[in-house]
Amino acid sequence: MAHSRSPYGARRLAFACFALLLVVLFLIPSQIKGLLQYLDGPVGYLVRIPLEAIASVDAGIADRWEQYVALQGVREENQQLRKEIEWLRGQHSQLREAVTATERLTALLQFKEQALPTMVAAQVIGRDATNRYHAIILNKGESDGIKPDMGVVTPAGVVGRVVKTTAASSVVLLVTDPSNAIAGLIQRTRDEGVVEGTQQGLAQMKYIPLLSTVRDGDRVVTSGLVGDFPRGLVIGTITRIDKQEGALFQSAELMPEVDIGRVEEVLVIQTSYGQFTKGGAGADLLGKPSP
Amino acid sequence: MKFLIYLILVVLLVPLQTTLLPHLSVWGVKPDLGLVAAALVGLFAGELEGLLVGLAIGWVLNLYSAGELWLSLLTNGGVGLLAGFLGRQVSRMTSISLGLGLLLVSLVTGVFAVLNFQHFDGAQMWSMIQSIVFPQACFDGVVGGGLYWLLSQRFDVVRLKTE
Repeated sequence: MAHSRSPYGARRLAFACFALLLVVLFLIPSQIKGLLQYLDGPVGYLVRIPLEAIASVDAGIADRWEQYVALQGVREENQQLRKEIEWLRGQHSQLREAVTATERLTALLQFKEQALPTMVAAQVIGRDATNRYHAIILNKGESDGIKPDMGVVTPAGVVGRVVKTTAASSVVLLVTDPSNAIAGLIQRTRDEGVVEGTQQGLAQMKYIPLLSTVRDGDRVVTSGLVGDFPRGLVIGTITRIDKQEGALFQSAELMPEVDIGRVEEVLVIQTSYGQFTKGGAGADLLGKPSP
Repeated sequence: MKFLIYLILVVLLVPLQTTLLPHLSVWGVKPDLGLVAAALVGLFAGELEGLLVGLAIGWVLNLYSAGELWLSLLTNGGVGLLAGFLGRQVSRMTSISLGLGLLLVSLVTGVFAVLNFQHFDGAQMWSMIQSIVFPQACFDGVVGGGLYWLLSQRFDVVRLKTE
């Protein structure tokens, strides 16, 4: 099973290479990164072939499962959805009234029309290669105009932001990752704060002013002040307030609006920061009224 | 030929790790196949090949992760090198000893990675070690030991060894 071979030359070379790598990584990390970026493109295209093939097989199996096997409880869900539609119809008519009033008032105040962001649709083809980050992989990359820091959403709300791209794919750090931070706004009280992820896969809003009247069930949207998100995209709903004695701010736990574990298609916001209407003039994008 | 095998290994590791393994994760934790592959290559092919394949795996997998490049290169390359070096010192390798070794290496690299989360406080780091790093290390040990057992049952495995 085991055999002997003179290993010293190869061993010395390996240790020398590793020592050199250590020195280079600590002395000129950005140059190394830049050098490897030239190779990212061809490698990205090469890896894309098996990645997309396996992702499509995976999606096909998941589709079959959802269509035929996982149909238990559909009747109850259907009844629940019918009730929700009734409620939404009522809300819809109220909102139409509100839209008419807003249009009238906007014209009256001569506000500029809010530019709708340009978006590109992408498919989720995988999850982060490590366990330490909550991230998803998209099948679109630099060749489709996706760049780091762009916001990623679904019609339900915020998913996360792009942190890394290759020519054919991109990595999105989810809103539930503790390393992610998005400027948030409580829709009812208009108090601002920072939304970060938690290790439990939820999110928390930090730096809410102490005098804020925030309560459970309040909806949090993007404030549009920092980053590449326009104002008014739904982030989540507050489920718990944390007010500690002597603290300068209060914080709140959020349930993200998007079911992060089941997201399959997303929209990447390509319009850069500064092209959106700032301040209170703009209507909430993709925003939904609180029940 | 060997280069082609390594290329296929590195390219196939990406869909395996990012698309298929999330379905097999236990409590949201999946094994790090890159680490296991780098260790096995180092063990069977020596330090130099372990280092080079580990670096290639670390770089390519990092393209599909939000993590830092240098950390991925260091851990995977280092594991390949270490496995090559330690593998020569052990006269009789069993799947259990390999599994335990992988568990230890995965634990050390995982803790090192967590310590690099600069915005984390001590409690968050400890929580991450308990909930992610330790289960993953166990997972890596089981997968690595199992793979070694399978390989040694099916093939006449030749391992490098110091005289």
